[in-house]
Order: sequence, then C-alpha cells, then structure tokens
Amino acid sequence: MTLQEQIRANRWRTLLLFVLFLGLFLLVGLAAAVRFGIDGLIIAGVVAIVYGVFSYFASGSMIAALAGAHPVTKEEAPELVRVVENVAIGAGLTRTPPVYIVDDPAPNAFAAGRDPNHAYVCVTSGLLQLMDKRELEGVVAHEIGHIRNRDVRLMSLATVMVGVIALLADFMIRMSIFGGGGRRRDNQNPLFMILAIVGLIIAPIAATLIQFALSRRREYLADEASAEITGDPEGLALALRKLDRDPQQLRHLNRATAHLYIEAPLNKADGLGGALSGLFDTHPSLESRIERLEQAGGFQLPPD
Amino acid sequence: MTLVWILIAVAAVLLLWAVLAYNSLVRLRNEAEQGWANIDVQLRRRADLIPNLVETVKGYATHERETFDEVTRARVALQQAQTPAEASVANAQATAATGKLIAVAEAYPELKASQNFLALQAELTDTEDKIAAARRYYNATVLRFNTKVQSFPTLLVARAGGFREKELFELDDAAAAQPVQVSI
Repeated sequence: MTLQEQIRANRWRTLLLFVLFLGLFLLVGLAAAVRFGIDGLIIAGVVAIVYGVFSYFASGSMIAALAGAHPVTKEEAPELVRVVENVAIGAGLTRTPPVYIVDDPAPNAFAAGRDPNHAYVCVTSGLLQLMDKRELEGVVAHEIGHIRNRDVRLMSLATVMVGVIALLADFMIRMSIFGGGGRRRDNQNPLFMILAIVGLIIAPIAATLIQFALSRRREYLADEASAEITGDPEGLALALRKLDRDPQQLRHLNRATAHLYIEAPLNKADGLGGALSGLFDTHPSLESRIERLEQAGGFQLPPD
Repeated sequence: MTLVWILIAVAAVLLLWAVLAYNSLVRLRNEAEQGWANIDVQLRRRADLIPNLVETVKGYATHERETFDEVTRARVALQQAQTPAEASVANAQATAATGKLIAVAEAYPELKASQNFLALQAELTDTEDKIAAARRYYNATVLRFNTKVQSFPTLLVARAGGFREKELFELDDAAAAQPVQVSI
C-alpha cells in the first residue's frame, strides 16, 4: 500500500468509525429515551456533544497528562530532539513535532494529538537509556509514521468516543440503579427496561473492542512507515527485540491510552487472560512484527 | 439519441479521470518541491557553518592554507548550486573538504578539546544526517512523481499540463554516501 492509499484508507476507516460509534450512540440514546423519556435523550445528546468536542480539541494534552508526559526542549535533550527532527524531515512532515518525555524506567513511546499539526512524539526516559541512536531512530520513525499516516487523528477520535460512550452509559446505569429517574415513566415495559440496561452495558465494551481492533492493524503499517522513512528496517527490528526482552512495566498504566504505545504496555500485567485476550490485545505480538520487518527488509536478526 | 447519451457519459467519465489525474500530479509535484526545499535549507545551513569552522580551526592551525581554500571553494559551490545535480556535486565536495579540515584538527589536541570545535562538529554531523534524511524523502517523492509522468495513461495529462520529470538528488560516489566519520 502506498502512503496516499494508506491515508485514504484511514479516511474511510475514520468515517466507518464514526458510523459505528454513531450506532452505539443511538443505542445509548435509545436506552436513555426508554428509561428517562425524551428529556433524558436531549440531556444525553447535549452532554455527549459538549464533552466530545471539548475532549477532541483537548485530546493531545489530556493524553499527555494521563501518561505523565512533559515537553522537552532541544537544550534539555539535544540527541533526542535531533533524532526527531531528522526523522520528521525524512518523513516529509512540514513541521517537527514537539517532543515529550515520560520519566519512567520502562522503555516505551507513543505519538498523540488530533492531527499532524497538533501531534507530538513522546518517549520514556527508559527508552532513551536502552536504545542506541539507530534503534531510537527506528522507534521515533514508527511514531512519526503514526502521525504521517493520520493514525493519531483516528486514535484520538477513537479515544474520545470511547470516553463519551463510557461516560454516558456509566451515568445512566447509575441513574437506573439508584433510581434518580425522570418524571415521565409512561412506557414502563419491563422488556424495554432490560433491553435498555443491556444496551448500556454492551455499548462501552463494543466501543473498546472497535478501538483495539483499529489499533492492531495500525502497528504493522507504522512499522512499515518507519522502515520507509529511515531506510533501515533492521534498526527498528533490533529496537523491538530490546523492547520484547525488557521486563519492566510502565508506572503510569492506563487502559485509555494503552493502544497508543509502540509496545503494548498492558500485556506485561496479568491481563484479562483466557480466550478473550486476543480481542482485547491492543497490539500484535512483537515477534510477528519483527518477522514482518525481516521479510520486508530481507534480513535476519542475528541470534544473540 | 441513446448514442448521444452514451457519448456524453463517456466524455464525463474521461473528464473526471483527467481532473483526478491532474490533481494527483499537482500533489506529487508539490510534495517533491517541499522535499527539495528541505534539502535546500540544510545545504544552506551547512554553508553557514563552514566559516565558523574555518575560523575556529585557524585559531589553532595556521599552516593549512590549502585546506582552508578548498573548504571555502566548496562553500561557494554550495551557495551557488541551483539544480539538484549541481547541489549534489557541491554537497559531495563540501563533505570531502570539511572531512579534510576535521582530519587536520586531529593533529592539534587543544583544538580537538575546544568546546567551540566540538559543538561545530556536532552541528555538522547533524546537518549531514538531515541532508541524508531530506534526500531520502525527496528522492522517494520524485521517483513516484516521475513514474506517474512517464506511465500511460497519466502521461497524457502530464504532457498537456506541462509536468516535467524531476532530477533526483544523487550522491556522487559511495565515499560521499558515507557521512564523515567525526571520531572524537
């Protein structure tokens, strides 16, 4: 897939994402209407729109805050900023994204922001310590790849929408259980009530699944982009192997931002496990990613 | 009557295709031009670094006139380069000349240890890395643009729209492809 095709495909996926989430919104809205009447629906709609718009525009800084990231200048981290500058030039970005650091010994990295002009690259201090320049370039190029492929926008949107649906569903479930309720309870058909509650429980789960499924595919594409930008797939493969071997876990663990990182930060925790784990994985396995890089680049990592 | 409608439909489809093809050519050309602008910025930055480097080395090593002249010539060539071909020659020349200058510095321990010199060296290496990165992007986009311009049927639109193939920014030889090893 060429870059343009990829970006176009991402536009379609963004649209599809919108439609899917719209469906889930309707589900939640319907539940609101059944449970609390038309007032409930209107309130839910207004809350959803206001919260959604606000968090879309604030998504970059919200994610930085959740991850515990702070911006750094070229004076503070000259090597890192230089690498980001070089990779941005190689990717043909019109501006160098700001650079953030999370003070955390676990090596990891992510990119976020609502569009390429408001995106930033973030790495952990552990990553800087673990990687040499070539590997760091591979990792940064993977993140810049996310920015260039417009993944950051898609992922910001997904994060925001999951947030909105979860917020609404959570709110209404509480209202139902603790019985706040509206004044109009004309259609108190118990079947409707059960359906409404079930819908409220399913919606956020479904939203999360969509989000995770979207992010898994992205990783391969961003790896590919990284190889194209640096012309050095082996550098990234070496970096991924280092990530694979590192047992440390991020201290700022957060399910809402898990899908953004270069390496799944939650897999090292005792996750959900069992048959469901595939569905809830945010990333493909590092081995399969390394394998793909080896195939694309026609090399074999030396066993060490 | 039906025939007329069919002809109109075919013409409309063709026109639509031509518009899309034209737009994608424009987009690729702009990307390539952006890529060239990136290279240009870095070449200029490199040219700007050279006088500082020469001054710094001169402070310690006075008997290297020949090397200084060579570096200065390379700088002028860098500043005067217009086309990608000229620029790549000038760039290779500058790489070789600054490499020589830095090799000269090896013989002067105080120079090698000076903060100013170390900072300049780091800047130069960084500029070379950036030129390499900008070159990769430029060449990749030019390659895509040229393929479009050359291949049928887009070439019809390209001819009509006056799109010309662009020059790649090539490195002169394998030695120039290697960034100067500035070992400290």
